Amino acid sequence: MEPIRKEELDDQACGSLAPKSKPCPRPKPGEAAGGCSFDGAQITLLPIMDAAHLVHGPVACAGNSWESRGSLSSGPSLSQYGFATDLSNNDIIFGGEKKLKDSIDYIAGRFAPPAIFVYSTCVTALIGEDMDAVCKEASDRLAIPIVPVNSPGFVGSKNLGNRLAGDALLQYVIGTGEPEQETPLGVNLIGEYNIAGEMWDIEKLMNQAGITLLSRITGDARYKEITWAHRAKANMVVCSRALLGLAKQMESKYGIPYFEGSFYGAKETTYSLRQMAFLLNDREMERRVDRLTEREENRLAHDLRPYRKILKGKKAVLYTGGVKSWSVISALKELGIQVVGVGTNKSSDEDVQRIADRVGDDTEYIPEGGASRIIKTVKERKADIMIAGGRNMYVAMKEQIPFVDINQERHKAYAGYEGLLRLAKELVDSMVNPIWKLASSPAPWDKEGNYDR
Amino acid sequence: MTVKRRSKPVSVNPLKIGQSLGGVLAMQGCYRAMPIVHGSQGCSAFPKALLTRHFREPIAVQTSALQEMDVIFDANRNLEEALNAVLSKHRPDIIGIIGTELTDVAGVDYQSMLKSYKRERNMRGGLAFSVTLPDFRGSLESGYSVTVEAMVDELIQQAGLRGQRNVNSRQITLLPGSYLTPGDVMELKEIVSSFGFEVIALPDISTSLSGHLLTGFSPLTRGGVPLDSMLQSLQSGLTIAFGASMERPARRLHNALGTPYKVFQGTMGLKASDELLNFLHQISGVPVPIRYCWQRENLLDCMLDAHFQFAGVSALAALEPDHLRSVSEWLDELGVEQKALITSYETPVVAEMEREVWVGDLDDAEVLGSGADLWISSSHGIAGAERIGAAFLAAGFPIWNELGSYMNVSVGYRGAMEWTNKAGNLLMRREAEHRESRVRHR
Ligand code: SF4
Repeated sequence: MEPIRKEELDDQACGSLAPKSKPCPRPKPGEAAGGCSFDGAQITLLPIMDAAHLVHGPVACAGNSWESRGSLSSGPSLSQYGFATDLSNNDIIFGGEKKLKDSIDYIAGRFAPPAIFVYSTCVTALIGEDMDAVCKEASDRLAIPIVPVNSPGFVGSKNLGNRLAGDALLQYVIGTGEPEQETPLGVNLIGEYNIAGEMWDIEKLMNQAGITLLSRITGDARYKEITWAHRAKANMVVCSRALLGLAKQMESKYGIPYFEGSFYGAKETTYSLRQMAFLLNDREMERRVDRLTEREENRLAHDLRPYRKILKGKKAVLYTGGVKSWSVISALKELGIQVVGVGTNKSSDEDVQRIADRVGDDTEYIPEGGASRIIKTVKERKADIMIAGGRNMYVAMKEQIPFVDINQERHKAYAGYEGLLRLAKELVDSMVNPIWKLASSPAPWDKEGNYDR
Repeated sequence: MTVKRRSKPVSVNPLKIGQSLGGVLAMQGCYRAMPIVHGSQGCSAFPKALLTRHFREPIAVQTSALQEMDVIFDANRNLEEALNAVLSKHRPDIIGIIGTELTDVAGVDYQSMLKSYKRERNMRGGLAFSVTLPDFRGSLESGYSVTVEAMVDELIQQAGLRGQRNVNSRQITLLPGSYLTPGDVMELKEIVSSFGFEVIALPDISTSLSGHLLTGFSPLTRGGVPLDSMLQSLQSGLTIAFGASMERPARRLHNALGTPYKVFQGTMGLKASDELLNFLHQISGVPVPIRYCWQRENLLDCMLDAHFQFAGVSALAALEPDHLRSVSEWLDELGVEQKALITSYETPVVAEMEREVWVGDLDDAEVLGSGADLWISSSHGIAGAERIGAAFLAAGFPIWNELGSYMNVSVGYRGAMEWTNKAGNLLMRREAEHRESRVRHR
């Protein structure tokens, strides 16, 4: 059997197309954590809110994963539907292509989506279903784009899945449409998934600076806007290494310059807005951005004062994926928090370099090893708070460690100036909560010598 | 009566949960256990994330982390590596290997691999077994019960029957079905033990997923029934199974050890509770404890108070088979019209129900139950309930929109009362909202 997408696997890059980056480590049996490539592909594409997302395989890949992301929509919600071809034993023996075709027809007929994304899963890849052909045939017949996403779980990690999803966008979507009106100063955001509505804060800032957000790839996106992404004047890769390849290819194919940036922390936010203006090459715009960022930073500094008083000198352990590992450090530093431990398991060499630029020498790097290793660091370094993803939240609760959720499932938006203020408040609220005292004091009858005889 | 399906090529908003997740859930009820999902990363990551979200507890699970080439060439090499890692690092008492659709389709023989692995290595009296739970069959319920069955088999093997069994007639083994919450299991243990029995629940999620504060991190399960007690359960004088899906493991115990068993298919409502308490009363000769007599009256009084609320009301329920049967029985007692009953896959128990049951998804629930006042399903149903304007009552798995749902009790008189009040309150609030919106729009 032919391996799936040999080129991708061979170019050994997990996050980017750069030959320098280290290969994706093979997940260790018995010690691995984290999602599969199929999961990664969904993370990237599900925020295309008006499209239908059909999972081709047994029901569990879809059944266990739908409605598990905190990516918000400002309108259409079709992407929140869980569609699955739900293959049975028989379908697997005799092939599921007919069922796939019927499913596509059904969805197109009943929901009339602007596009359908079809995801392969391990089983359909293993039995060699020709998904591309089915999609192509249906696409021609129904006259709507039907995009095959060849990212079955077993080809690798979540990161690789993000990338394969990016490839699908490049191959099937970007460049197939034209914007409704000419936008000379349009920027695309790549790898911003609008978790907890962060995109909306960013969009507001961009609007205030007069920068048009041309395509959102893909937080709170509509299918159409991605088709015209090639008309942007600049790309910003937000916190997602895995989609750096997409930006690079758009640069070589369409000549769109890109930069990597973040919106965590005031400094990073200001830098990102400036960088956009710079790439758009418009003096007037640059002046506007300067005025805006100065005003916002001043206001923020004022609003943050009471929080900074409490947070100054506090220690945190940060355990999150890839880009966030360094970008959140900047935000925490601005709040006066010292990062005493930081996870590097999903970070590339460049990420680690950026972490090193931002933390002191005595910060502990946590390369891997999951919850027990993180907790050890928290205890040894006497950290006041743990900042990580939901997976580790309840482990922290058991150990009675104050916790702030920074990943997918969180409910608060931390991007931009407003976001930093929210983060500061969240950190303070979590640390000063009365529960820590209550939970650590024993029941009265367990206290020694406090009863009268 | 009849089980029906709507013809539709695609599953829209699935109700089905992968079997392997059921297997992982069953393992959580055993102390110092580690399920290893024999498949790719995602097949363990999704269940872990989903179970964590529902129970708000860390979940013990590992994976053989198969990648494409491993599946094609030698999947068991990964499994061996996983076993080595888990055994050397964490020393679990119990290991359950859960085969997935991936190993199934690729035809991987991990059963014999496990046998020779156990022969070659000293497993130090631990329990290790494997199950095959491809996701294109069954659902959470079957995955859970098949895993318990395999666990029971392995226990029997391990104990080697040791000649004569020392039957302890005061000890009862409980086999709680997958739809019961930790709170339910706790309540059932309490009810049975209040008749003077020693009770061993197998598995016992009431001590692992009910929210305790053990510190000192371990990636293994932190509570549940310990291996000693599991072995001891083989001496029980009786098995009580809750949910029809648990009859098979009960039968295993019966066939191998001669342990008689009793299955309670229903666990919700007055009649189901009466049946259980009367049975316990009969076999123990102990009068029904006064607190249950009180609870019975409380329940009846609550039903009288609530009946105004339920009169003329219609409901739909979309749940796993055993759960659906139980909930339907409770709805019957309330006199609620059952507009649509939907389940994830067909089992004998739903085929025998006196009502029409549909095998389908939450989209079917929306279509068939259109016009219903009350919607009963997992949190996946919230959007559908909103679309048809029904009050939403969370039940089943997964539930993420409320705190503490894992401690909800539905069994016994107390459980029936809790549910009746909760459903009644939802309907009352809905009525008030409708009134308000009428006033506003005039
Ligand atoms: S690893 Fe494969 S089978 Fe498992 S959830 Fe991911 S895509 Fe589905």
